[in-house]
Amino acid sequence: MSWLARIVEERHGDVQVAAVAGEIDSSNVGEIAGRVHAMLTNRSEVLVVDLAQTTYIDSAGINMLFSLGGELEQRQQGLHLVVDPASPIARMLTITGLDATVATHPTRAQALAAVS
Amino acid sequence: MLAALQRVTDAALAYLSEDELLTELLLRITEILHTDTAAFLLLDEEGKELRARAAKGIEEEVEQGVTIPVGKGFAGRVVASRRPIFIPNIDHFDIYNPILRQKGIRSLLGVPLLVEGRALGVLHVGTLTPRNFTDDDRDLLQLVGDRAALAIEHAQLFGRERAARAAAENATRRLEALQRVTDATLSYLPPEELLTELLERIRGILHADTAAILMIEETGHTLRARAAKGIEEEVEQGVTIPVGKGFAGRIAAERRAISIEDVDHADVLNPILREKGIRSMLGVPLLVEGRVLGVLHIGSLTPRIFTAEDRDLLQHAADRAALAIEHAELSERRRLAEALQRRLLPQRISGLPGIEVASRYMPAGESLGGDWYDAFPLAPGKIVIAVGDVVGHGLGAAATMAQLRTALRAYAIDGHSPSDVVGRVNRLMWQLGPASMTTLAYLVIDPVAETVELVTAGHPPPLVINPDGSAEYLPLSGGIALGASDVARFPSQVHPLPVGATVVLYTDGLVESRGVSIDHGLERLRVVAEGAADPEALCDAATEELVPEAPEDDIAMIAARLRSVDDRLAGTWPAEKDVLADVRLMLRRWLHAHGATEDETYDIVVACQEACANAVEHAYGPGLRSFDVQAVADGPHVTLTIRDHGRWRPPRGTNRGRGLPLMRALMEHVEVTHTDEGTLVVLERTLLREAA
Repeated sequence: MSWLARIVEERHGDVQVAAVAGEIDSSNVGEIAGRVHAMLTNRSEVLVVDLAQTTYIDSAGINMLFSLGGELEQRQQGLHLVVDPASPIARMLTITGLDATVATHPTRAQALAAVS
Repeated sequence: MLAALQRVTDAALAYLSEDELLTELLLRITEILHTDTAAFLLLDEEGKELRARAAKGIEEEVEQGVTIPVGKGFAGRVVASRRPIFIPNIDHFDIYNPILRQKGIRSLLGVPLLVEGRALGVLHVGTLTPRNFTDDDRDLLQLVGDRAALAIEHAQLFGRERAARAAAENATRRLEALQRVTDATLSYLPPEELLTELLERIRGILHADTAAILMIEETGHTLRARAAKGIEEEVEQGVTIPVGKGFAGRIAAERRAISIEDVDHADVLNPILREKGIRSMLGVPLLVEGRVLGVLHIGSLTPRIFTAEDRDLLQHAADRAALAIEHAELSERRRLAEALQRRLLPQRISGLPGIEVASRYMPAGESLGGDWYDAFPLAPGKIVIAVGDVVGHGLGAAATMAQLRTALRAYAIDGHSPSDVVGRVNRLMWQLGPASMTTLAYLVIDPVAETVELVTAGHPPPLVINPDGSAEYLPLSGGIALGASDVARFPSQVHPLPVGATVVLYTDGLVESRGVSIDHGLERLRVVAEGAADPEALCDAATEELVPEAPEDDIAMIAARLRSVDDRLAGTWPAEKDVLADVRLMLRRWLHAHGATEDETYDIVVACQEACANAVEHAYGPGLRSFDVQAVADGPHVTLTIRDHGRWRPPRGTNRGRGLPLMRALMEHVEVTHTDEGTLVVLERTLLREAA
């Protein structure tokens, strides 16, 4: 993983949580997508991507999240995002309409409470 | 008589060698005088004994190497009296040489061999029947004796001259051979090849079957075979010999030449020497300025007694070889140190946007040091510079340094706070043991906030040179040296680093020297730094003013200056994804300096990045692999221009094509122009800042 971002993986029962801290751009989005995909199993029903510590995301990252959402939907699994509503990240999700297709939560606790 | 005279003075005799001449003269005199025996006996070098040199009829005398003391017996008296002696009947005479009686000789006539009054030996003839030798017989024998004496004198002179010439030629040959040991072209060979070539030459010079060089290992306790000729297995098997033990070990410990005539009856540790059937050995220490570097030894597969000359020659060759090895090792160490320095240089100078960095690494003498520095970017937009000093020297210190450096980077990139990064590294060093004691200065530069966050661990304080040129040390943050305690805490402190200011990290070698207090060194560095124009000049000045020609300790230093932000931002980047983060950092600093809020900064940066990402994606074709970014502020009105040299392709796939809508959503005005030369994107937005 490049120095731009790091991913911390957690597991809460059948719920997988991937927390991305740092910046997501086109230079590392492929690597991040790979890491998140590797977490998916047939048993897991829900994937939470925690963007609370994400400091930068642009269309490269947004596109990746759109793809991930579509893929999980096909597998009858759900994608949930954790985004601080006051952050620029939340604004990007709104502008691109990602928050209309993927469930978002202000905190990880709320996301976990919603999916369990 | 005349004919007889002619026969013994025949000119043709002059062409015979000494031995041939003597034999021929004995043959002729026995024929002329009708005697049964004849013999030459010559004085030894000291003039005390006669030794039979040539004989006819009593050849046993020569074969048995009979010697007769001067003054004793018949021949001894002839040479002592320097006069002819005639013995009619040996029964009435005290004959010394038993062979004469055994052969049944009855009468003897002997004459001295004289040259210019010096006696060289005796010529005598004998008969098996009693005989009265006449005066004519005596004179003729003396004539032959004189003739022989001249020839012997001549031959001896010639022999001495030839021996002297041979010795001179030999000395010249050896000198030339020795010269080959130090041939200038050898110094261009890499160390291992140099050793092999040296051994080949030494083996040739001393006509040895084997030759080997063992070098003392870093610990100083063992010798290891480094190069060998004829016993290459010694090197391949990595034979080590304790210093002080066995043949080579004793040479190294006693610093003197040792020779072994018979390997079977000597204290030889190395089994390979016996296995290879080496019979005799000679070894000398490799010495440079009184230090033992190793041992050079040669061996012979046949028993050989090495002479003092062999020993001197080998020592001479070893002295020169030691110098050549020392020279090669120094170059090798210098090369290693340089390689180390290259590894230590920040890998991405261009990846540290917003700051200018200069660094120096100066190894102390020949050993690898534990000093290091590092500089690397830290998301989001921050930069780490660090300097450390691992206790000790050599490979151990260098290895610890490498571990420490890697750990520091890993913890930093993992997102830990400066205090935690240093704390974690401390626990790692603690686990590695007391040999890993290290001092450290760890600094995180925030180019946007214009601050540094500092953690020091037993390390001298960083120096800051303000934009006005004044220089001051930052206070230490209070941490102790790493590896000393696993519960130590490493608090951090934040200090301002205004645009144009420079921060300098260094190891103590720069400010500490024997006999001078560290305070004095710190003050000298501060004064030197005050006059420096930029980081490179600062490093140059510090090196020139503070570093002696041969530093006692190694020195690492790194200086970083926060670049000023211009009204107009302009830059060209290679069309690679990895530079996008750098562009973001530059633009953030520029926007921050122009009063943009955090949200505005974010929006404008994303819009710009979308255009840059397109430029990177579409930069195809050789020579087109770069793009330009320009930002201009006119009051609160900001205009960004992104120009590439490719053609944008229509977006492919479902989740593509969000870039342009994003730009339009985030900026007030977006204009994309495609031309044959490339694509031009102009982005505009007015900042809602308070009037400045």
